[in-house]
Amino acid sequence: MLSRSAERLYWLARYLERTENIARMVSVHMNLLMDLPKGVEMGWRQLILINTSEQEFYEKNNVANERNITRFLLVDASYSGSLFSSLSAARENIRTSRELLPDEAWEQVNEMYLYVKSNLETVANRRHRVIFLNEILKGCQRFTGLLSGYMSHNHPYRFILLGRNIERADMTSRILDLASLLLSESRSDEMRQYETILWMNVLKALNALLMYRQQMRSRVEGDDVLNFMLLDTSLPRSVSCCISEISYCISRLPNNDKLPLKLNELQAYVQAIDTRQTTQKQLRGILDSLQNKLGELHGQIVENWFLQEAGD
Amino acid sequence: MKSIWKNYKTDIAYDELMYSECQSRPVSHILCQYLNSLKKEDIDKRKIAAELAIMEMGISFTVYSDEGNIDRAWPFDIIPRIIDAREWRIIDKGLKQRLTALNCFISDVYGEQAFIKEGKMPGDIINSSKNFRKECIGMKPRHNVWANICGTDLVRDRDSIMYVLEDNLRVPSGVSYMLENRVITKRVFPELLQDIDILPIDDYPTHLHDMLSSIAPHQNGKITCAVLTPGIYNSAYFEHAYLAQQIGAQLVEGKDLVVNDDDCVYMRTIEGLDKVDVIYRRIDDDFLDPEVFRKDSTLGVRGLMRAWKAGNVALANAPGAGVADDKVVYAYVPEMIRYYLNEEPILPNVPTFLCSKKDDLDYVLAHLAELVVKPANESGGYGMLVGPHATAKEVETFRALIQKDPRNYIAQPTLAISTAPTLCKGRLEPRHIDLRPFILQGENTFVTSGGLTRVALRKGSLVVNSSQGGGSKDTWIINMEDR
Repeated sequence: MLSRSAERLYWLARYLERTENIARMVSVHMNLLMDLPKGVEMGWRQLILINTSEQEFYEKNNVANERNITRFLLVDASYSGSLFSSLSAARENIRTSRELLPDEAWEQVNEMYLYVKSNLETVANRRHRVIFLNEILKGCQRFTGLLSGYMSHNHPYRFILLGRNIERADMTSRILDLASLLLSESRSDEMRQYETILWMNVLKALNALLMYRQQMRSRVEGDDVLNFMLLDTSLPRSVSCCISEISYCISRLPNNDKLPLKLNELQAYVQAIDTRQTTQKQLRGILDSLQNKLGELHGQIVENWFLQEAGD
Repeated sequence: MKSIWKNYKTDIAYDELMYSECQSRPVSHILCQYLNSLKKEDIDKRKIAAELAIMEMGISFTVYSDEGNIDRAWPFDIIPRIIDAREWRIIDKGLKQRLTALNCFISDVYGEQAFIKEGKMPGDIINSSKNFRKECIGMKPRHNVWANICGTDLVRDRDSIMYVLEDNLRVPSGVSYMLENRVITKRVFPELLQDIDILPIDDYPTHLHDMLSSIAPHQNGKITCAVLTPGIYNSAYFEHAYLAQQIGAQLVEGKDLVVNDDDCVYMRTIEGLDKVDVIYRRIDDDFLDPEVFRKDSTLGVRGLMRAWKAGNVALANAPGAGVADDKVVYAYVPEMIRYYLNEEPILPNVPTFLCSKKDDLDYVLAHLAELVVKPANESGGYGMLVGPHATAKEVETFRALIQKDPRNYIAQPTLAISTAPTLCKGRLEPRHIDLRPFILQGENTFVTSGGLTRVALRKGSLVVNSSQGGGSKDTWIINMEDR
């Protein structure tokens, strides 16, 4: 498999995962805000905090209201982290890797892209936005499904899994990071009152509510949610599960060098986290360092497989 | 006949499907019956369905413009072009005969040059051809085939005869559109395709794969094929990716390949360097190898010619094959067929005046307003003069061009190239068409059943190139015997 192709597939998967994550986050957030009374300190601004894109947002907008934030996150082509930009980048990567994937995979991404492109204006309206986001979520799931059903689980497939899981682990840790803010001591009494709803929405944002209930068989508690999303070894969006997937792919790729060892260390690091024993500040530190470690892992993947200079 | 045919004109040229406004040719009886059974809205719906399918399948070509490169949807007309299988069998034979002779000629040009020595063609034509590559002298590609993939353009004149307009032996494109057109037609007219015995075309990738394997330097074990593309900004990138996918080859760019000290070609993979046996290159000779051809080429691979000449990699088409893709050389193809194969040409050439010949030049200059003038080495329909459609000023510009460099120009009578019904704003109107079948030659020779029918969508236009307002149609070769 060409190094260049491996790189394109890896990015294809990252961008598509990002597309899906943005869609799910906006969708869950809309639902959440419909449940909360007006005046609670939870607002649309939280969404741009997750992506650390506050500065860029305020360069273009004055007010962090629903209309501006959803437009910024979903359809702003000049913001590289928007859903539209991510999907466009995914499409460009798959357009240039068509020889490796089933036709339907390209058609699926292309169809989504055409859909978004012709519906850019509709997201301003809430009802249309719901339909829009549903289309994206369904489209991303179709893509995942058809690859797992139509494609050999070969090297190209592994690079797709790799990209998807790194992006996913990163996003899960960001969402938890934001959620941990809600644990802060300074939260208002009113906020405490809606805590269960908030944590349920965190689970929904990660598509984990049903699985949480089955596993925990108890009411939704912040600490448990954090533990579940970090450590559970069978939930697809938990950090630990993403790392297992990454490990699995890497162990089957050629020239994996010292990466399997590094991944063992990373897994051990995650498994040692116990959210019941940590303060909110410590937890934020842990999640920060987790994101850094994922960043390093990405760097090593690039070095190992994507950069091949002449004459080697 | 129903209103979609109202005022359909068949007197412009030979019409492929219709005798007249109310009478279809035998090949198109079923199609016409079917179209007449549809309501006008139904036809429009199917046109829309086809456009949607093209968008979703992402069938596109790239157009260069000031605003950057735009991926444009492939313009497709849903009304197929139909040819009787009995006629096609003769064309098939003629195309094989032609490519065989052309390959004999190219081998000869880079070998003994017997054709020239025996006075069949002036040597100057070769020496002054910019596609003659002296680096190729003495090379002997496998099976003595230089042009492995050929796209031959055919047109039918008013006399109903199919003429060969040109042979594209460098990097002919369009075959992916031929294949995709059929896929779309199956989606749009599923009922119709069931009732008609149309020869299938989707075996092309298999034959392409077999041909490429047959020219590999070694024939033992697994053969690694790659399609070499200039990259994502090339107008035919879609096709490069499509073909690579269809034949299970790697799609590579120049920077993915490296020629090592052992004169073998390798690609950079996640497992390190991996040897390549056959390269289906979609890059012109000029850009193939900066070591030999254009020094400033960033698309090619340094040392590729070295590897090819050492016999470590096969290139399709072979470098230098373009020497026969020259409109002056074209004029000699009938003679090549007689000379090398001792046969009479099955497919006729369009009568061609060579401006390098004194008599021909005089005639051409005196009749510019009636003739089509073409530069010897351009493709894509660029740099042409269509006399009857040209302004006096354009004619004078060409007069000067020809006088300056007669070797580089040929002229042909303006053909009334045939028309076929084409859907234009809900009605059928005649539009001019040509046909590009694709011929593969390696160990064996294969011709596609039909080819890519290109259609000049603008009323009255004779230019079918997609870059200049052309579109395409599905091409049906149908068996009429059991009827």
